[in-house]
Amino acid sequence: MGKKRKQIEAEVVEPEEIPERPKRTLLGWKDKSLVPDEETDSKVFRNKEKVLITCSRRINYRYRHLMLNMVSILPHCKKDNKVESKATKGATMNELVELRSCSSCLFFECRKHKDLYLWMAKCPNGPSVKFLVNAVYTMEELKLTGNHLKGSRPILTFSNNFDKDAHWKLLKEMIIQIFGTPKEHRKSKPYHDHVFVFSIVDDHIWFRNYQISDKGPREDREKMTLIEVGPRFCLNPIKIFGGSFGGPTLYENPFFVSPNQIRALEKRKKAGKFAKKVKAKTRRKMHELSNPLEPDEFADMWKE
Amino acid sequence: MGIFDKEPVMFEEDGEEDLDEEASESGSEEDEDVKLTEPSKNSIYNRDGLLDKLGDICWPENAGWIHRLSIDVNQEQEVDVNDDLTREAAFVMQALEGTKEAFEKLKSMKINCFRPPDYYAEMVKTDSHMEKVKGKLLSEKRKIEEAEERRKARESKKLSKEIQAQKQKERAKQKKEEIESVKKWRKQRQQSGFAVGEKDADMNLPFEDGKTFERSNKKRPGVAPGDRSGGKAKRGVGNPNKQKKREFRNSKFGSGGRKGLKKQNTAETTDDIRSFNGGKVTGNKKRKR
Repeated sequence: MGKKRKQIEAEVVEPEEIPERPKRTLLGWKDKSLVPDEETDSKVFRNKEKVLITCSRRINYRYRHLMLNMVSILPHCKKDNKVESKATKGATMNELVELRSCSSCLFFECRKHKDLYLWMAKCPNGPSVKFLVNAVYTMEELKLTGNHLKGSRPILTFSNNFDKDAHWKLLKEMIIQIFGTPKEHRKSKPYHDHVFVFSIVDDHIWFRNYQISDKGPREDREKMTLIEVGPRFCLNPIKIFGGSFGGPTLYENPFFVSPNQIRALEKRKKAGKFAKKVKAKTRRKMHELSNPLEPDEFADMWKE
Repeated sequence: MGIFDKEPVMFEEDGEEDLDEEASESGSEEDEDVKLTEPSKNSIYNRDGLLDKLGDICWPENAGWIHRLSIDVNQEQEVDVNDDLTREAAFVMQALEGTKEAFEKLKSMKINCFRPPDYYAEMVKTDSHMEKVKGKLLSEKRKIEEAEERRKARESKKLSKEIQAQKQKERAKQKKEEIESVKKWRKQRQQSGFAVGEKDADMNLPFEDGKTFERSNKKRPGVAPGDRSGGKAKRGVGNPNKQKKREFRNSKFGSGGRKGLKKQNTAETTDDIRSFNGGKVTGNKKRKR
């Protein structure tokens, strides 16, 4: 039985020419000639990005699930315990990131159980960005039917309006570094079967994640289809700081209205309703008092 | 957020210039959005600082595309945010174009894009979750099918009703014609000189006057419709006293008319103490004083 199977495998494998794998040592490739040229010239660049993902305490379940989805999407991340969100959290976060020897951080901060803020920071001294997160759909949602390998490197696509302005450029670079899985990361897998979409629409960054399926509607091998995997969210940049979790403000969104203000405005609108009613009532009363009705001459016509 | 508020604002003149630029750019789109107001005047935009930072964090030049795996895709036209369908379609188009470009590049580097069918590894979503997704899809499909079936049944019912009506009409017509033909035949026979004999007298078939077999309409006084006993049901069963009682009861509880008033207590019935035993203490032996 075992012999037969081996034979079949050998037959299948033979026609495709597979270059022999160079031997690996603990530190790298033994045979230098097989390593791609671009890496051999000058100093070899190696992406050692590590992302710390954590969230504030009292986070909503939906946002927590979003965070966990991010953890499953990014194989080069480390997840940490919840952090108390208070005024001095910048210092604590920096400390925490250093402790976990990460180079960037995604911090999901939930306020009032409804507003989710996302901090994206490059950690020792890079910039940090604060986003408001809108339109969150997690991966658990059943209408998102795609699925892909855990740890395969994503292809990042950006809409061309990322090159429009300086702050968008900076955001793009940060996103590439944080969301791109480092090449030859030990948890990454060798194939490319999903694609991230970052698109600026209406001054928000929209995120989508699609599976690339090679099983097209026809037998055509080239025909590929995209199936959405999730999660979905929409980032509204609020501020960009020079340091990590602090530092000089480099950018401030001029159109940003905080959700608290929006809610307050709505409330105020509602509050005006009753006052208006009372006012109208008193006005009517005053009007009636000032011009009284003339006595009706037929009032006691039918009384005997 | 105490730390950030204290930070000095750098390059103020520069910032304001840029702000005006941006306001003119994006002002037109923002009008529809309820949540956005006029751009605030004192927001910071430190272009040099941003570019500096960008230079700081950028990877070195020799980092090839294979490290970034990023593709820029042209977005042809402005996408309306509030139109979900076109927005999502735009995203899908962007992803599709991006993957095509990326795959070409990967192919030129001779890197496999798709995993072979026998490569099994952990997926982002678990099998149980995918089972659920599948179940949802199936149930949706079934729902659609069921709705379709119901619709078809409704239509066929409508159609069959029409057909039934037509059939009945046809049958009636046929019957009429047959009767007509028989009458005609009789007339012809009479005209051709057949004497109306005794034999023919009982040929007077009942359907000739257009009536089919019908139950006689004779009313039977005092007998319920459908009473097949031939009027025996009414006649004395048991003693007349009992029957009286039954009649009274029927008038009180039987069908027809409102019962509400009859069954209520009136002043007379409340005063009626016949049913009480006149204050005699009955022996409840357990309750002893």
